[in-house]
Amino acid sequence: MRDKMTIILFSSEMDKALAAFTLATTAAASNMDVTIFFTFWGLNILKKSRFAVSKSQNILQKMFNFMSTSELPISKLNMFGLGPWMMKKLMKKSKMASLNDLMKLAKELNVKYIACTTSCGVMGLTKENFTDDVTEFAGASTYLAEAKDSKINLFI
Amino acid sequence: MKIDKTLDCIGLFCPMPVVKTKLELETMGIGEVLEILSDDPGFEKDLPAWCKLSGEEFLEIKKEGNIIKGYVKKNR
Repeated sequence: MRDKMTIILFSSEMDKALAAFTLATTAAASNMDVTIFFTFWGLNILKKSRFAVSKSQNILQKMFNFMSTSELPISKLNMFGLGPWMMKKLMKKSKMASLNDLMKLAKELNVKYIACTTSCGVMGLTKENFTDDVTEFAGASTYLAEAKDSKINLFI
Repeated sequence: MKIDKTLDCIGLFCPMPVVKTKLELETMGIGEVLEILSDDPGFEKDLPAWCKLSGEEFLEIKKEGNIIKGYVKKNR
């Protein structure tokens, strides 16, 4: 049986997502089955459009999605978006793989994405708000069933 | 040593060299040898570690200046 790795991606910062996807792609490239469970702010990484606001959402949900977008901040020195811009520039200059590159590779290597249905419910997000990368929509039991026999488990 | 293919990863950082190694080996046959060129200092330790994880056979590392040449035999 193949080894397994599971990651809970709770944060929406670009630097934390980079760390998660660096490990996910490396594990998948090492013949491990990798599952990432996206919950709370982590769902921002998978939003199809920047704001993910839809008609069915109530006013509070709309406000939340308007303030917490797919335009990912960084966890230190964000400086209203100047930080992420500088970081992307630096990464490009030093030829480091971007988050987009790593996410494309993760899909190529069959990394499984689970989106937390409870978080989706609270934020008023539905399948239509997410990219096609999401493998399934499920809850804690599905994650625990995957994590139970995984050798590496991270909360990021 | 007979080298069947060479993969240029110069200028790339972790995790790209090992991920590219994996994808390149997928296009190769069992028993074939892949040479990987990298200038990421971590690659020297990462390649044997990756081979241990993935089950591919690590052959050797050669260093020429700041270029690291790794050799892997496809096992599976």
